[in-house]
Amino acid sequence: MSATSDQDLIESWRDEPAPLLPVLHAFHDRDGYLSEESMRSISQGLRTPIAELFTTVSFYHHLATEEGGKEKPRVCNGPVCCLRDAGKLLEELGEGATAMPCPGRCDEPVAVLRGDEVLLGLSATELSPIPSPLPAPNPGGLDECVFGSIREPGRSTLEGYRKTGGYEALEKAVNKMTPAELVEEISDSGLAGRGGAGFPTGRKWKAVAEAPGNPKTIVCNADEGEPGCFKDRAIMDHDPHAVIEGMALAARATGATRGFIYLRYEYPGTCAILERALNEAKAAGLLGENILGADGFDFRIHLRRGAGAYICGEEGSLLNSLEGKHPFPRNRPPYPVTHGFEDLPTVVNNVETLVSAPPIVLRGAAWYQALGEGELAGTKVISLSGDIARAGNNEVPMGLPLGTLLHDWAGGPAREHELQAVTMAGLSGGFLAGDDLDVTLDEPSIRSRGSFLGAGGIIVFDQGRDMVAAARNAMEFFADESCGKCFPCRIGTKRLTERLAGSSGPGEMAGWEAEVRDIGKVMKATSACGLGMAAPLITESLLKYFPEEIARRLK
Amino acid sequence: MSNPLVDMQKPDVIFCIGTNMTECHPVAATGIKKALAKGARMIVADPRRIRLAELADLYLPIRVGSDVALLLGMAHVISREGLADEAFIAERTTGSEEFRKHLEQFTPEWAAEITGVNAADIEQAALLYAGAERGAIYYTLGITEHICGVDNVKSLCNLALMTGHIGREGTGINPLRGQNNIQGAGDSGAIPANYPGFQPVVDPANQAKFRKLYGREIPAEVGITKVTALDRCGEQIRAMIIDGENTLVSDPDRKHCQHALESLDHLVVIDLFLTETGELADVVFPAAGFGETDGTCANTERRVQRLRAAVTPHGQAKPDWWIISQLARRLGIDGFEYESARDVFNELCDLSPIYAGLDWDLVENGEYQWPVPERGHPGTPILHEGEFENGRGIFSVLSYRDPAETIDDEYPVWLTTGRRLESYHTRTQSGRAHGIDYLLSEETLEVHPDDVSAWGLEDAGWCELASRRGAVRVKVQATDRSPRGTVFCSFSFNDVPVNILTGSGYDPVTQTAELKVCPVRISKA
Amino acid sequence: MIEKDDSRTMILDGVEVSFTPGETIYEVASRSPGEIPTLCYDKRLDPFGGCRLCVVEVEGVRNPVASCTTPASEGMEVRTSTEAIDEHRRILLELVASENRQIDVDPLRGYASQELTELVDRYEARTGRFEGARSGSSRTDDDNPFILRDYDLCISCYRCVRVCAEEEGDHAINVLNRGFETRISTEFDGSLKDSDCTFCGQCVQTCPTGALGDRKAMRYEGEPGNIEKTRPICPYCGVGCSIDVMTRDDRIIGVQPAMDGPANLGALCIKGQFAYDFVQHPDRLSTPLIRGEDGELHEATWDEALDRAAAGFKEALEKHGAESVYGVASGRAPNEAAYTMQKFIRAGFGTNQIDNCSRA
Repeated sequence: MSATSDQDLIESWRDEPAPLLPVLHAFHDRDGYLSEESMRSISQGLRTPIAELFTTVSFYHHLATEEGGKEKPRVCNGPVCCLRDAGKLLEELGEGATAMPCPGRCDEPVAVLRGDEVLLGLSATELSPIPSPLPAPNPGGLDECVFGSIREPGRSTLEGYRKTGGYEALEKAVNKMTPAELVEEISDSGLAGRGGAGFPTGRKWKAVAEAPGNPKTIVCNADEGEPGCFKDRAIMDHDPHAVIEGMALAARATGATRGFIYLRYEYPGTCAILERALNEAKAAGLLGENILGADGFDFRIHLRRGAGAYICGEEGSLLNSLEGKHPFPRNRPPYPVTHGFEDLPTVVNNVETLVSAPPIVLRGAAWYQALGEGELAGTKVISLSGDIARAGNNEVPMGLPLGTLLHDWAGGPAREHELQAVTMAGLSGGFLAGDDLDVTLDEPSIRSRGSFLGAGGIIVFDQGRDMVAAARNAMEFFADESCGKCFPCRIGTKRLTERLAGSSGPGEMAGWEAEVRDIGKVMKATSACGLGMAAPLITESLLKYFPEEIARRLK
Repeated sequence: MSNPLVDMQKPDVIFCIGTNMTECHPVAATGIKKALAKGARMIVADPRRIRLAELADLYLPIRVGSDVALLLGMAHVISREGLADEAFIAERTTGSEEFRKHLEQFTPEWAAEITGVNAADIEQAALLYAGAERGAIYYTLGITEHICGVDNVKSLCNLALMTGHIGREGTGINPLRGQNNIQGAGDSGAIPANYPGFQPVVDPANQAKFRKLYGREIPAEVGITKVTALDRCGEQIRAMIIDGENTLVSDPDRKHCQHALESLDHLVVIDLFLTETGELADVVFPAAGFGETDGTCANTERRVQRLRAAVTPHGQAKPDWWIISQLARRLGIDGFEYESARDVFNELCDLSPIYAGLDWDLVENGEYQWPVPERGHPGTPILHEGEFENGRGIFSVLSYRDPAETIDDEYPVWLTTGRRLESYHTRTQSGRAHGIDYLLSEETLEVHPDDVSAWGLEDAGWCELASRRGAVRVKVQATDRSPRGTVFCSFSFNDVPVNILTGSGYDPVTQTAELKVCPVRISKA
Repeated sequence: MIEKDDSRTMILDGVEVSFTPGETIYEVASRSPGEIPTLCYDKRLDPFGGCRLCVVEVEGVRNPVASCTTPASEGMEVRTSTEAIDEHRRILLELVASENRQIDVDPLRGYASQELTELVDRYEARTGRFEGARSGSSRTDDDNPFILRDYDLCISCYRCVRVCAEEEGDHAINVLNRGFETRISTEFDGSLKDSDCTFCGQCVQTCPTGALGDRKAMRYEGEPGNIEKTRPICPYCGVGCSIDVMTRDDRIIGVQPAMDGPANLGALCIKGQFAYDFVQHPDRLSTPLIRGEDGELHEATWDEALDRAAAGFKEALEKHGAESVYGVASGRAPNEAAYTMQKFIRAGFGTNQIDNCSRA
């Protein structure tokens, strides 16, 4: 049997929503790369100008344009894998192997992506595919929201999910609540965006429910690209129906009829799990028309894979990427709640946010609210990795002291060294060290130290680590992932990387600091999106906690 | 154009027929592309798969010269499906009953037979255009350069009248004029039927007006056209003055044209260069051209704009108005005591109703579109708003006619001609611009790849192209822009004088030549 | 009610100004004195928000906002130039200056080519700070005679990409790669000739640094004397685009689009932009010509030629009557030519034997 023709591949997607990414993947999967001929066919078939298509392809890390490219191994050069000698593994794998940014396996380094597989191991001979580990239960037996049922056996299948209370929240919402009551319940719970932005979820849903224009869309942001973050992968791998149920609740609340899961390319296993779950849900009438017998409750979910671009986790870029456009962030206002996918009202929620919704609906806003410490509402999943005894995902009450997490929950340092520093928000929050390690895990506390909790990735560095090198690795990541749209980020991340590497810039501390601070200041104040605003936290915190190390390096 | 250029961004349905706008009027085409980007849908009817066809939502690859059949078929569907704008028809038109009865016979299936376009696509085109909120028609010489050019235009008018897509923003019937001042030449009275400002010569009032102005009696009878004049050279016509036209290369049937000009007793040519036509003249005057002379012109949307001299004219070149005035004075003709272009233009404004509200100073910034009937009038960007100039819009009852020559065993291939983006007309100007050769250095005949092999030709090889009037040699270019059985060539290159072949017939009303259709025979050369 | 909807007010640098809903802060501010600097802005294009030079302070908003993309709103209090804002602008310009081979270019490169130079001077950003790698890479291999692709000078504002897409609708170029590695590229990174480029030159004219240059005009780079601009209408098709002809010492050295031309609003095509040099081409007729006894055309004085021309018409008139004379006016010449031609026939010979070339 011959391979599917260009025409057939295009035909099978042309009338689907957001067709460009799946068409690109279909050709990429068929041929193992995107040939010029393929791109020309797609350009014609989807009526996308060829120069636009060609350059958009170049934007993504993982779309190979040379024959055999897809099967070539890519080795993580993220902050955690670098602590485990990822460079040596890259060398071992020899010609054809290239480095890639963090694929979210920081709990079990080093990660290698080859074709449709993620392999893990510290040397070429021990690389093997390993499924996502289940999050460990917390030591105090604290009540959980996101991970409340995730450890139930069979939870990832529809049958197992339903046995453990799955889709009961949706049934409750359909049978016993009005959409407005549903929005109110979420609002009252204090649930806020768990992807890092922290926008109140109830307010977002309300805004979309009230915005003019149809059809409305629910986008699940599963483009977990932040180095040191791997919580959404664990959720989706072990509790995929919770994602679907969360999205269906959002649809019920807002009147949205179409949904997308925008999943990062680096999670091929997750893709298969979600596909199966979506098919099960469709077959069971939990997606489609008149869901659960509710007249006019129509909702479909389309799974779309990214292609390797950190910036696509930014909601404007994500929407542009879905629409097949160049994935630059969008100018705001207008916001997605009124002008989202195809310029229509759209909810963009992180995976963790969405899966929090079903337990809230079932157990009530007050229950969720009370999960946090003191006045703080709910929980946050923290991905912990690096020089720590037990790396992994932990759902912590909002406001848990960082020290409690590091020492009591995760067993303290992994090696003989004392802890030196941690990152916050993956890499985006920069470093915390010294006295600032006494923060509690909530935005007010962490922001008061000049950082932020964000998506909840924490990477631990012990005393044996070179913090300037860690900062340089982080800034290189931001420079590589800067989209190139705005000047401060495009040039600033490059200049900061050069200065951390010592490859150019002033050779003495005063001049170095003046330039680095000026660049950081303008990036924070004027960048067009969070990437450029956050990147200088790396240099700022380095200057704050480790000025001697910098000075030593400059000599 | 009935509507301004800026309106090209505004329709929700665009119907382009017989216009290769992206190449011939690229700046106008940008308006259409903007409309498409905003979500407008576009129907394109053209024998060739031009760039515009690629941008279209519905492309109708019609056989050359079959436009009337297509348009009748569309009108039939609009009428049959009840999509006509009855209120508009009742209020603003006349003759609809007879017209709609006449339409009954012209089914899309009938039109499909003639045009080669699917009946279903013809239906869809009709539904799209008639269903538009703002439907706009754009056309160029692909409509007019036929023996049925007038019928083609009237058929388009019928569609607009049926659907009420006229007299409003973003609608209209919009011909794009091909030359920088072809509109102004007509405005200024350089046509046999009208005095300046389209005042018919047959109207005795106009005759009296100009008797007074020009100091002599001019017959209230339409003069002969240039085509007729060329036919009568050496007989009735003995002396001719031609300004700025390379007649020999741009007109159809070159042999006939050469013979005509050679039979004159006296030929005077005014031009920038010594053209092939100038080579036949008794006297050639060097004209000051673009960038060297002040003046005014009118564009395709009837906008009157100023020309300004940037440099001193080349050599001894002089403005056309000066040359003609000097000649007139030597012949003792009164009224040519002009000292500047301003004097001439102000006289034109004084006696032309459409320019009556203008003068040299008022056109400084080009904000007026005629008619500007009196001082203080803002100009008329959109024609036929509220009312047609002559009262009601008249439906034209007409039928399809075959082109003057149709393909047969001897001449089995349709040739159609036109322009290309990088060249203009006979290349007297564009051909002398540095760099143009980099993009387009020679003429080619565009042939469908399957025809290239079927006819034993070779891509980039030479062929001979022959019609009933002559033959030319040209290089073959295999391209699917051309449909099977139809070939294309521009008339820009002097070494491929394609107008040796053309000239099979003329529109009986306008005497525009059927340059778009010419049966030919092709053989490897 | 209508009044309330259509006009609102905001405070701009301490002054109350009115605006219509939908206008951006930049649009509102452009009506007031004090120019907000921009590099990625072209008023014909959708606001992009890339250069961030147009940031302004809005009362109650933590970070400065890009004025080109932020809509004005009722009661908004905006400061367009403060010490902090101006410092951001200077640092941004220093960063931009650090990534380019050169800042100063000949104005013949293009209409907007002096924008970066002017801003760097205005904000005294010629400091040599932030030294480091340079971005962009000139395409010296693209040998087209019209558009210089000197991308060493590119600052990634993407005005070229956007004008090609939004204004011209050609989509011939786009942004390859990302971050500091972005480059302007055609399909498969080839030359413009092998792309959808139609050589309209719009990218050249909107480029704020001269990274794209008008190669034809650049032939006259560095010559002494001022450049003068004169505005006629393009001599080719009937669209009637306004153009600015650039001259120096009575020589045409280039063409730039007239951004306020009523028919084209700044747009041009390859012919209007680049096909002007026929005007001063050596092939031009320099003197009148008369056919001699030898059957050849010979140079003649105006007097001789006019006499000869007049004599021919006189003879035709006398021998064959007024009906034997015919005039063909030009669709390429000005109204004044067509008008005098028809008057020549009608007033001179009393006939309507006049036509123009619209039939060809």
